[in-house]
Amino acid sequence: MHHAYIDKFAYQDSPVHRLDSRVKFLVVLVFTAVVISLPRTSVSILFCFAVGPFAILVLGKVPLRFAFKHILLVSPFILVLALTFPFYDRTPVTVAFGPLVWDTTLGWMRCFTILGKFVVTVLALIALVSTTRFSDLLAGLQRLGVPSLLVIQLGFLYRYIFVLIDSAHHILRARAARAIGKPGFNTELKVAGGMLGSLFVRSLDTAEHINVAMHARGFDGNWRTINKLQIRSADYLFALVAAAFIFGLYFFVRPVLQ
Amino acid sequence: MHMANELLSIPVAAGTLAIAAGGLGFICRKVREVLTGDKLPLMGILGAFVFAGQMVNFQLPAMPGTSGHMVGAVLLAIILGPHLGAIVISSVVIIQCLIFQDGGLLALGCNVINMALVPSYVGYFLYRTVTAGRFSPVRAYVGAMLASIIAIEAGAVLVPVQAALSGVLAVPFSTFLITMLGVHALVGLMEGLITVAVLAYLQQVRPDVVTDTLPGRVRLSRKSVLVTLLIFTVVIGAGLSLLASGMPDGLEWSYAERPDEPDFPPAVSNEDSAIAAVDEFQEKYSPMPDYSRRSSKLGEPAGEGMEAHVGWTSFAGVVGSAVTMVVIWLVAWLLRKKQARTA
Repeated sequence: MHHAYIDKFAYQDSPVHRLDSRVKFLVVLVFTAVVISLPRTSVSILFCFAVGPFAILVLGKVPLRFAFKHILLVSPFILVLALTFPFYDRTPVTVAFGPLVWDTTLGWMRCFTILGKFVVTVLALIALVSTTRFSDLLAGLQRLGVPSLLVIQLGFLYRYIFVLIDSAHHILRARAARAIGKPGFNTELKVAGGMLGSLFVRSLDTAEHINVAMHARGFDGNWRTINKLQIRSADYLFALVAAAFIFGLYFFVRPVLQ
Repeated sequence: MHMANELLSIPVAAGTLAIAAGGLGFICRKVREVLTGDKLPLMGILGAFVFAGQMVNFQLPAMPGTSGHMVGAVLLAIILGPHLGAIVISSVVIIQCLIFQDGGLLALGCNVINMALVPSYVGYFLYRTVTAGRFSPVRAYVGAMLASIIAIEAGAVLVPVQAALSGVLAVPFSTFLITMLGVHALVGLMEGLITVAVLAYLQQVRPDVVTDTLPGRVRLSRKSVLVTLLIFTVVIGAGLSLLASGMPDGLEWSYAERPDEPDFPPAVSNEDSAIAAVDEFQEKYSPMPDYSRRSSKLGEPAGEGMEAHVGWTSFAGVVGSAVTMVVIWLVAWLLRKKQARTA
């Protein structure tokens, strides 16, 4: 039961952590949408936009090393696609950056724009989840209109991921302790099928136990929390600053930087 | 095959988000009618099972050093039924996005459609069709195999389609499509094999799970499956065609011009006045203006043409996304209100 390595920072305390989860979620959504709709060849503006999530991460006391390690972890698919751009788009352009001027192709610029947008938007998402407790985020989402069934489902799923990952680790260790040499694909598949099957049966049993335990405590299919979500003046201030930042960059800085 | 934000344009992202939200809201409402509180823990745990199950890897044949793992959508659809399966896998996709940042926030709609809704319904429908009537192991295995391969391919096909509609690809559409199909044929084959292996194990240990009596499944008549599938096909088809006609940019970009060869004769000519009007409209109000090859240099001032309609394009972009968010909110709010009234 260690949620430790993915959202340990969500349980810290800071001004950012105390903000309402709905406000934070909507700000990240708007931010992502704005970044994605930037022109496909302007790299420089992305640096300006990166300031936002950076500030949140810093204020929320989340180590940047952690954030960038995480970005590397999720990047392979987009990396492969971004690297196809230089091969297909060979229109030559001249790039000027301060005193430096060099020739390159449009493909490379689009490749870097895509990667830049990816880093900035993932950074924003990391800033959201590592400064918001998942239960608060869910409560906020429910208030924003997500069906309660889905919210309960997400809550249960989040709660038990690491219980079952622990189980899976035990099963994997048992296989590793017994495996000698290369058994061939047929056996391999059969073993994996058995492992997954027994994990599945175990899950069914666990679910049954949880169900009985929750019934004993009066669960009737509705989530009740004592956590009252309320939007305070700090949230208004945050929303105002975020809006000024995002739209200020978009309307005034983008046309200049292009 | 997690879609990233960067592969989508705002209209496609908003459209798919609206479709996914509407679809999930609809399923939740339908399931809530038959579901009691005791099935909620089961669904949650099985979602966690998908996560844990993806850690159980096995060596692939002929490719030493690589290993495969289960995806799980089809297995859950077979055992839980398509509605519950779709909700469970959607929740897995949402957690992957929010907690693990796998797939972007704007791409969540695409990911829910491609990896949860489509595989669950396609997989369940195929499995049920093959295993119709009396239960026999052979039929169950053939059905599971077929369902896995086709369900995964069906989801994979949508990725290049969505990317092409967004007009972000540099890779030709057909190349991307063939690559996706090829890679996911392998993924689907592995998924089929492992699904069959798990079903075989479950049949020995808990035969009640594989036949029809698992506590917590929603029973479905074939008719309702067909009707639901039909509705989804129509909704998704209509959504995609609306996007296609509203945003000619994407397909235009891959078929009508070759940016690397400006003299290349366009495969599709836009002589029709309606298309020309749409083109003009789009040029004026598109949230993502066509980039101009020669004026968009880093650090160099943009051409006058760009500057003239920058204000308008950004205005349209903001209003467009705001309107779409309001629409999504309204749809979910209406569904919730209706749900509250029926409950």
